[in-house]
Amino acid sequence: MSLSIVEIFAVAAALCAVLMAGSLHVKRNIFFYMVQTVLLAVVTAEIARTDGELNLYLIAVAIAILKGGCVPIFLRWMVKRLQSYSDPGMMLAPPLAMHASLLLFALSYLELGSLGALPGSALAASAAASLLLTGLILMLTRKTALSQIIGFLVIENGIYLFAVTQTSGMPLLVEMGVMLDVLVAVMVAGLIVFRIQQSFEHIDVTQLAELRD
Amino acid sequence: MTPVFSWIYFLLCLILVPPLVLSIIGKTKARLQNRRGPVLLQVFYDWSKLWRKDQTLSSTLSGVFRSTAVINTVIYLSVALFVPWLAQKPPIDGDDLFLLLYSLALARFLCLLASMDAGSAFGAFAASREATLSLLVEPAFMLTLVALAVCSGSTSLSSIFAFSINPGAGPEVWFLGGIAIFLCGLVELSRMPIDDPTTHLELTMVHEAMIVEASGRNLLLLEYSYAMKMTVFLGLSAQCFLHAYFQFLPVGAIWLCLLSVAGIFGLAVLVALIEALSVKLRWRKAPEFIAYALTMSFLACLVSIAKGATFR
Repeated sequence: MSLSIVEIFAVAAALCAVLMAGSLHVKRNIFFYMVQTVLLAVVTAEIARTDGELNLYLIAVAIAILKGGCVPIFLRWMVKRLQSYSDPGMMLAPPLAMHASLLLFALSYLELGSLGALPGSALAASAAASLLLTGLILMLTRKTALSQIIGFLVIENGIYLFAVTQTSGMPLLVEMGVMLDVLVAVMVAGLIVFRIQQSFEHIDVTQLAELRD
Repeated sequence: MTPVFSWIYFLLCLILVPPLVLSIIGKTKARLQNRRGPVLLQVFYDWSKLWRKDQTLSSTLSGVFRSTAVINTVIYLSVALFVPWLAQKPPIDGDDLFLLLYSLALARFLCLLASMDAGSAFGAFAASREATLSLLVEPAFMLTLVALAVCSGSTSLSSIFAFSINPGAGPEVWFLGGIAIFLCGLVELSRMPIDDPTTHLELTMVHEAMIVEASGRNLLLLEYSYAMKMTVFLGLSAQCFLHAYFQFLPVGAIWLCLLSVAGIFGLAVLVALIEALSVKLRWRKAPEFIAYALTMSFLACLVSIAKGATFR
């Protein structure tokens, strides 16, 4: 079994997500998210090279700059502003969450390992599914709204990885639209978190069960 | 490579590498803190001083304490003899991976007994910490070695680390195994993120507090066996990385000899870097650090099982 470059980088991105589940440090999670996104940009560039599509090069650069640069910088700024450097965590202790996401990684390999629309993309499909499931675990085991945004971004990365590896190229306009949507979603979510912080004086989502004015 | 040459190489490394590893760590840390640091031979001077010194013995001691240092040294010497921590090591029969695991466990058990034997409360504290840590880290180390064993189809350490391009173990298994063994080594040797070896607060130390009652030649033997254990762990980790490199670029026997020693020293510098840059974890956070080692070993297992399934 020899892995293609796409598969190696896709699996490395999935491993970054697994390592994210093991730490409650928000800044460390943001760093792992950045590494993971840059790896996805490399995957995109590699697909562009093998398919000879110029569009995908543009998308790779845009991902590296927007999702790998701007979003982490914005998130770090938010961490500083909200003074929430560490998440209390809930339901699963971080080591257990990490092992659970590893289990999901193995499961998605077993289920999706043979599913690959394009040659050399079989493992990339299971890496994408594992990113999605790990993002779910991140959202389930985190208590503050900020960490939940990071979990959502990981899920989005998984969906993007699945789309880019299983189809032979998407229209540039669609990709750009999706990327702008993510950027705007993060900004809006950030604004909402600021508002929550202002009116509730915390960003603990488990305490947001009752209405208040 | 002829057997005579490989024995000479092995014995030279066995004598010179363990103290040099300790010196390199000390020197690198000193440089990073803008100090000049001790000379590279300082560990030899320290050990010769310990050799000339008298022992001070607690009045509650039994024979366990006196015999522990000697037995531990013998155990670690035999571990260094049969574990392939160098490339081109002369082969010795019966080098099973479980023998390695249980030799380490036996040495640790004796060390725990000895630290409680001296009757000081610090030793007992440290013994309880060491027992907890070993409980957590042993599965990670065992699973890593088992994952490598699955790839090569044998539990003999010299056939696992045999520098053959077998299709079972790709570079990724070796790489993950190397990271896992390095992290396990940091915990087993009670280095920085778990325990600060240079602090003098016995309440928080692990390894240093266990040997706090030892002095003179006893201490010399304990320090020597500690250096030997460190060399074996760093050497195994370096061998894993070297195997990963070997899968891309096969190199000759002489280069492997040089690279394996360079790898051990490189990892020693990395240990010093971690010690200079990071802070000691709170005791309650230690399991989270060890979980990373366990994750790496789980991953190595998963990859090796997946590869085995595709080959059969």
